[in-house]
Amino acid sequence: MRPLNAKLLRDIWRMRMHAAGIVMVLGCGLAVLIMAVGMRGTLERTLDAYYADKHMADLAVDLVRAPDRRAADIGAAPGVAAVETRISGYALLDLPQMKEPVSARLVSLPREGRPRVNDLVLASGRWPDAARPDEALVNEAFATALKLKPGATLDMIVHGHRERVTLTGIANSPEFIFVSAPGEMFPQPERFAVLWMGRDALGQAWDRRGAFNEAVIRLAPGADPRPASAAIDAALKPYGSAGVHGRDRMMSDRFLREELDQLGVLAAFVPAFFLVVAAFLVNVSMGRVIATERSNIGLLKAFGYGNAAIAWHYAESALIFGGLGLVAGIAAGIGYGRFTAGQYRAFYHFPALEFSASAATYALAAVAAFAAAGLGAISSVIRAAALPPAEALAPPQPASYGSGAAWLEQLGQGLDGKSRIILRRIVRFPRRAATTILGIGFAISILIVTQSFPAEMTYMLDVHFGLANRQNVTLTLGKMQKDSVLHDIERLPGVIATEPFRIDAVTFEKDGHRVEEAIFASAKGASLNRLIDRDGRPIAMPADGILLSRSLARKLDARTGDIITAEQSTGQRLRLPVRVAGIAEPMTGASAYMDLYAEARLMRETGRIGGAYVRLDPSRYDDFTAVLKKTPALMGASFVSLAERSMRRNFNEHMGLMTAIYASFAAIMAGGIAFSAARVTLAEQQRDLATLRVLGFTRLEVSYVLVGEIMVLAVLSLPFAAAFGTVMAIWLTHLFGTENFAFPFVFNPPGYAFAMAFTLACVLAAAMIVRASVDRLDMVGVLKARD
Amino acid sequence: MTAAFTLRDVSKIYGKGPAAVRALSEVSFDIQEGELMMLLGPSGSGKSTLLNVLGGLDHASTGEIRFHDMVLTALNDRQLTAYRRRHVGFIFQFYNLIPSLTARENVDLVREIAADPLSAEEALTLVGLAGRMDHFPAQLSGGEQQRVAVARAIAKRPAILLCDEPTGALDLKTGMQVLEALGEINRRYKSTTLIVTHNSDVARMGQRVVHFADGHVRQIDVNPAPARPSELVW
Repeated sequence: MRPLNAKLLRDIWRMRMHAAGIVMVLGCGLAVLIMAVGMRGTLERTLDAYYADKHMADLAVDLVRAPDRRAADIGAAPGVAAVETRISGYALLDLPQMKEPVSARLVSLPREGRPRVNDLVLASGRWPDAARPDEALVNEAFATALKLKPGATLDMIVHGHRERVTLTGIANSPEFIFVSAPGEMFPQPERFAVLWMGRDALGQAWDRRGAFNEAVIRLAPGADPRPASAAIDAALKPYGSAGVHGRDRMMSDRFLREELDQLGVLAAFVPAFFLVVAAFLVNVSMGRVIATERSNIGLLKAFGYGNAAIAWHYAESALIFGGLGLVAGIAAGIGYGRFTAGQYRAFYHFPALEFSASAATYALAAVAAFAAAGLGAISSVIRAAALPPAEALAPPQPASYGSGAAWLEQLGQGLDGKSRIILRRIVRFPRRAATTILGIGFAISILIVTQSFPAEMTYMLDVHFGLANRQNVTLTLGKMQKDSVLHDIERLPGVIATEPFRIDAVTFEKDGHRVEEAIFASAKGASLNRLIDRDGRPIAMPADGILLSRSLARKLDARTGDIITAEQSTGQRLRLPVRVAGIAEPMTGASAYMDLYAEARLMRETGRIGGAYVRLDPSRYDDFTAVLKKTPALMGASFVSLAERSMRRNFNEHMGLMTAIYASFAAIMAGGIAFSAARVTLAEQQRDLATLRVLGFTRLEVSYVLVGEIMVLAVLSLPFAAAFGTVMAIWLTHLFGTENFAFPFVFNPPGYAFAMAFTLACVLAAAMIVRASVDRLDMVGVLKARD
Repeated sequence: MTAAFTLRDVSKIYGKGPAAVRALSEVSFDIQEGELMMLLGPSGSGKSTLLNVLGGLDHASTGEIRFHDMVLTALNDRQLTAYRRRHVGFIFQFYNLIPSLTARENVDLVREIAADPLSAEEALTLVGLAGRMDHFPAQLSGGEQQRVAVARAIAKRPAILLCDEPTGALDLKTGMQVLEALGEINRRYKSTTLIVTHNSDVARMGQRVVHFADGHVRQIDVNPAPARPSELVW
């Protein structure tokens, strides 16, 4: 082995504690990078493969009723590769284990063979017999939530009739990867089922024999969807078509795309923190190495080693740290990725989801690792290369201190000697102090950000369930009905108050901008269900005209006072001009809102409603649900308290884990920085600390000098951390916000307190580990040696 | 006259087995209160080891050392720290000042842990540095730094002043100033002063000179007329 290589290995061994910190911090950042980028790729690939394999629909259309022969017209549209016409609708399930009825989406299966579009994956059991109207497949999420096995039976009310079906199997579909009941903000697997049944059974139930009310369409690769949509729209217009829509209106796909975007944000944001801190750590430890190696550098140069060889020698150790960090990051990233894939698998029931990161991802991680290590080392390496041999061989000048700024000296006068040592060192090495402050501040910031999410989600849930949705139940009718139905609802047992609503699917148009959306209308002075803005205030509904959400207004380029056109998506397809009465920023939702009577007038359908919000007498809850299970006209009944409970439970489980993961990241980051800073302080001050011991200072007093410095820096980092963490949290709430959720930033003092206390505790723990060296100080040896 | 230290069969052995090194071998003698004693010998002869053991920086392997009624050899680390804190002032060859504190602050540092200390001004004036009190170590010459170290050692009015080669890193003129200061303090405060040196000329300043060789005390000379530092040449 070349002597320089032997020296390199020994140097690295000597720096192993510093190296461990660098490797851990680098490893954390790269692990998140590899997990997030890899998981994003994995999900995209899995989704693409799943969609391709099971012929996920590119287009879909809902209609009232079209004869089966019209399927040929759809198949003849340009670019259409396959069509599956279906009968689909909603039913209520009456489950013995649940008081409340559960909504179910029923989807027909073809009479022969498998669906040509939106095919299924059978997880267990067998396909239903097409000739048996009482057999069905159920989606896996629901089956898992209710522990249903093939062979189980379900009672349901379909179109007013009570039916009993036997589950022959459990299945998944690319169409329902993310499943959420209509009108629900979040998925509740136990509250919504998808059932696939024979076409004849559903045809009979909904009186659609020889007809269909839904078509899903797959296009040939590369085909333009526009001419296909136009042709299909034209063919189906007479049959009550709501218009062809693409994947952007298919809820499952839309939700998954948002999830992918959020992984992208995570991939960029978290690793950046760690890489910067890793670079800091490399900078600190390499700076220390060069300082202690001065005479060796001089000696090597005196022997004739060139500047480049010296530079490379020291750069190598930084790059080895980068390499070790890369190995650790890849190992941890694959582990983290597999763990996350398991979570996704359990949640989405993908048929096959195996985490794998591409070569490009690993290459990106390698570039990041070596860039962080290299940037951290560069100033020290340049210093080593530039050191003239004669100067390097001379003993280093003792650290020279001068009086600092007058106000600092004033401050110093009030302190005891030990505290003054701490103060002077911080003032003397401002760059290093700043580095430590920034690094610890980053760790605190990460925790502030991760702690702000639960607060924001809690706030959102509080607003959603406490202010916006004050009804106990939302009853959705199968179709628009006369408002006299409200009297029937009022007569249900336990009903205290009702509020009617209607939802109309429309296409808005203004100056060539077209957006498919819905108008939500509720009664004047509604108090059960209200629109709430980001600050938690109710948004007043104008008596006339339409209220647009900010994102919808932006898409339409509409302003208050503009006249826009709303075209009905169903029924008569009327084109109706309406005045924009205002623009609002509701916390959830991105639709348009109107007063119920203004809306009914606009739609030329006064006195018809789509459902009702209901407030219940809690003592009569059981009577209410028992009657509800037998009510035929309902499409769905959403129970707010169940939704809230399920939401908060899911959220707590998820957030608990996330907090644990990010708390350990912050601990590693803060611990690594504190450890490294304390080791450097110890190395530089060994002599001073030994002197203090000789003078008669106790271990505790001497430890104070060492631990005090790092703790002062940690405390100094708090204002920076609070400010930076807040900015990051605000920025991230903005990035994570989707069209439907405007995340508000919520200032959460306990979150800040936790972030700061936890990080300070980690810093203290790391400093205390280094402090143990004070007990082993060789007083005689240190004092006899010349500086 | 009473004995400040009583040493009986004191040995110090580093290492174990065949690699063991006997740094001190069964040393026995008394050190009188207020005495200025020189420990003379070549390097490795055991004089510094004895100084460290007397100062509570190191433990003797065998034997007994008493400081008045206190059995030093029976004290644990915590008690030795308290002993150093209360009774001992140290001066080293390489000064060991805290570089981040001024001369005055270096002296003030020990005043914080002393019961009845001199003021920093008194201590620094005594060593002739009244005009350099607010300078940092890096702004002082070697001799000045060593005199600050002397001021720091005496500020707590220690019963014992232990000096390990205090002039080892200094030239004649500045070394003489340091020895003058040590002599003056010994006279004025009656501190029992032990100075380790390998220089037989410097040793002429002591009231007694203990000769060390190979860890043994070879002889103890009594010097009826100690030389003044200005008379020394080395």
